[in-house]
Amino acid sequence: MFDKLKKILSKLDADYGDIRYEIKNEVVISFNGKELTQISTNSTDGYVVRALKDGGFASSVFTKEDDAEKAVGKVVENSRLIAKNLEKPVKLTETEVVNDTFIPELKEDPREVSIPEKLELVRKYVGIPLSHEKIQTISLSYQEVVREKYFTSTQGTQLREDLITTSLSGEIVSRDGNLIQNIRVGTGGSSGFSIIRDQEKLLEKRTKIVLDLLKAKPVKGGAYNCILNPNMGGVFTHEAFGHFSEADLIEDLPAMREKMKIGEKLGSEVLNIVDNPTLPNQLGFYKYDDEGIKARPTQLMKDGVLTGRLHSRRTAFEFGEPLSGHCIAEDYSYAPIIRMGTIFIQPGEHSFDDLVNMLGDGLYILDAKGGATSGESFTFGAQYGYQVKGGKVKEMIRDINISGNLYQTLKNITAVGDDFVLSKVGGCGKGQVNIRSCFGGPHVLVKNLVIGGV
Amino acid sequence: MEKLIQLAKSSCDKAEVYSYEYQDNLVSFENARLKDIDTKFQSGFSLRIIGEGKLGFAYTRNLINRKGIIKNALDSQKGGVEAAYDFPQTKGIPQLDTCDSSLEDLSTSRLVEECSRVCDILKSKTDAEIKMGCLARIENIRIINTQGNDNSMKSSKYFIYGNMIYPGSGLGIYRIHQSKSFDPVPDELTDEMVELYNLSSKVVEPKGGKMKVAFMPNSMVTFNWRFSSGASSKSVYEKISPISGKIGEKIFDEKISIYDDPLDDEFLGARAFDDEGVECKNLTLVEKGILKNFFYDLDYAKKLKAKSTGHGYRTELWGGDPVTLKPIPALFHLYIKPGDKSFSDLVKSMDRGIMVEAGLGFHSGNIPNGDFSIGACPGLYVEKGEIVGRVKDAMVAGNIYQVFKNVVDVGDTLYPSFWGGRWPVVLCEGVSVATKA
Repeated sequence: MFDKLKKILSKLDADYGDIRYEIKNEVVISFNGKELTQISTNSTDGYVVRALKDGGFASSVFTKEDDAEKAVGKVVENSRLIAKNLEKPVKLTETEVVNDTFIPELKEDPREVSIPEKLELVRKYVGIPLSHEKIQTISLSYQEVVREKYFTSTQGTQLREDLITTSLSGEIVSRDGNLIQNIRVGTGGSSGFSIIRDQEKLLEKRTKIVLDLLKAKPVKGGAYNCILNPNMGGVFTHEAFGHFSEADLIEDLPAMREKMKIGEKLGSEVLNIVDNPTLPNQLGFYKYDDEGIKARPTQLMKDGVLTGRLHSRRTAFEFGEPLSGHCIAEDYSYAPIIRMGTIFIQPGEHSFDDLVNMLGDGLYILDAKGGATSGESFTFGAQYGYQVKGGKVKEMIRDINISGNLYQTLKNITAVGDDFVLSKVGGCGKGQVNIRSCFGGPHVLVKNLVIGGV
Repeated sequence: MEKLIQLAKSSCDKAEVYSYEYQDNLVSFENARLKDIDTKFQSGFSLRIIGEGKLGFAYTRNLINRKGIIKNALDSQKGGVEAAYDFPQTKGIPQLDTCDSSLEDLSTSRLVEECSRVCDILKSKTDAEIKMGCLARIENIRIINTQGNDNSMKSSKYFIYGNMIYPGSGLGIYRIHQSKSFDPVPDELTDEMVELYNLSSKVVEPKGGKMKVAFMPNSMVTFNWRFSSGASSKSVYEKISPISGKIGEKIFDEKISIYDDPLDDEFLGARAFDDEGVECKNLTLVEKGILKNFFYDLDYAKKLKAKSTGHGYRTELWGGDPVTLKPIPALFHLYIKPGDKSFSDLVKSMDRGIMVEAGLGFHSGNIPNGDFSIGACPGLYVEKGEIVGRVKDAMVAGNIYQVFKNVVDVGDTLYPSFWGGRWPVVLCEGVSVATKA
């Protein structure tokens, strides 16, 4: 394969070029209620070629081998066109030439588990919520994505890496008369099939929550002090802070870039944030990014001060900051862009009980559903929550959506818990979907969050 | 494709091959300067087979190994996904005018020049940081099946977007303009963006509470996702639609009429047939607030003993790659019938309220139930009939089946949405708004 890729690259009239070829093997088993709606095994493939010519940097994507010449011609033409319109030429941070093959070790290789066995396992999980009278339906999908990646560049780097992701994810819906409630259920990761097994308790726990939600009260809109659980805090870290640590998102927003300078104090002193794609067996794990750069942990915030940023080769040069290995593509249909790997707030010293006592009156909100960020504003929903009164966790609440401002909220995190949980199902959409987007952390206490209610 | 369907026929009762191919050029501008140009050449084939009432589904990028894709489809069929429906037998579907061949010859530098021109206009009149992009795409769809159907279409799509960002906030005023061929952004659109941007550049901090809320066209995706969920035959079948069994009943204010018009080829994305080869027709979903129809694909039509309305599309919530997705019931050509109020009339009629330019988090919350809780992104604050600034961190919340029962007025202009469909401004009253003040 590398010979073929090098032959394509040899036709590239450019100062730098790279090509990535991927075979993507996918297994999908989906249920809507008791009904099986999809079972499929498929293999697709494609190429992404990038070129730097005269200071212009562009990419081209193709799926037919016959289109290689056209794509190579187009990417150089586009690079030249960009170069003509640039104020200053694009440069890439220099990097070592690497020749490596990395095939991760798995706890159980999903490719060796038969389709009938997978089907029966998912069917068994589907049956758990459906045995309850007030459960309307469950949608549950098993997904297995194996990306076999081949990367080579004109600088001589040659990399072969597999990314194997398994996931079980869906939604349980409960109904009482006209009231419909839903909750997400999911597990998975990069460590193999074993994480999909023995999940009965997870299904039972989520079923109980969605049944309890039928009796929960809608939260009243307003500003509250809140404890966020690790999943909720993780989404907050990802949405409200993480995206602005992605250099490409602020590179061309001069005022934002000024606010996000390294050394600026943006958060409260209790806040330490890291992105680390090298944590083994976690959903966000990888060895090399899609520019051939070795992933490395990046301390983004230390004691509330901005200390680092996530980069591609292009932005690392532009910002004069170190490479981080965070330039990732969804698959062969996309050129890579800067993505978080595994982002989290580092644990502090407070037990959960401490945090509840410190909160006194407010809300305890759990498990994010949906999240979005646009500039300094962010919003995301919580799947459920509880009122906290006089330092005690009280009745359940529902219909919780938070809105906030990046800069204010980072300063409003007043205490950090001593626990630590990372997410098992990803799916960040920044133009492309990253199924390995991983986040988490400890419980955190945040002051003055705006909750929408209904 | 023909060879593939012949091969498939020898091992199953019915088969369908869907092919999708496109080439596009996307030019992106950041801070009013050219940043990226991406070119894509993508293609693929998707096979559905039905044998003994069970569905097999498989796809590939290249037809190099036809036996391989058939094997994957047959393996899939063994799983036992029920498929009681037949592939359609349709003849004489009218051809629509979906392709302007001039777009095929449009140079990438022309896209760059147009973005530069519009950036210069917006920059000369405001202090905004400008993000802009322009896409030119040619796509081909062909669907053949063992019933003898052979439908194909070629489309040209030209699309430009611009976002005027308030410095330091990352938020802004966003508009799109689209056509089948290259079409310069009209001055009226840039004038509108500039006016809204300048009127809302001051940050204000009003008190929350119940007030008038104008859902601007970009934020109507909040309504679209929830209504499309409720009116989908899939939700009806799964018994999670709150409007199931309410045909003939009033579900919205009488000022709301909702239609799906796939045949109007004046607009981008017109379709004569859906992704299953079923003929597309106009569909009235809501007329004067009264629910008239649900929409169906082949599968859910059969399950609910109805007929497909030609709404089987290979998509998922966020779009996705049609080659790798099975058809589901989906709406792509929705519009709300415009009213007779101009934008300035609507503003004048607001004593106090928020105009939600875009709804941050429109995709979260209890969508089947119709609930929403969106960040106004930005929210233009109106007092005594005038836009006085923009609100930060305001959340607008409610349930579409309640909020859209209290419609004050509907704007007189339809705007295309990035998320599909065309939408007017819809002004509602008594909507809950939470702020920090």
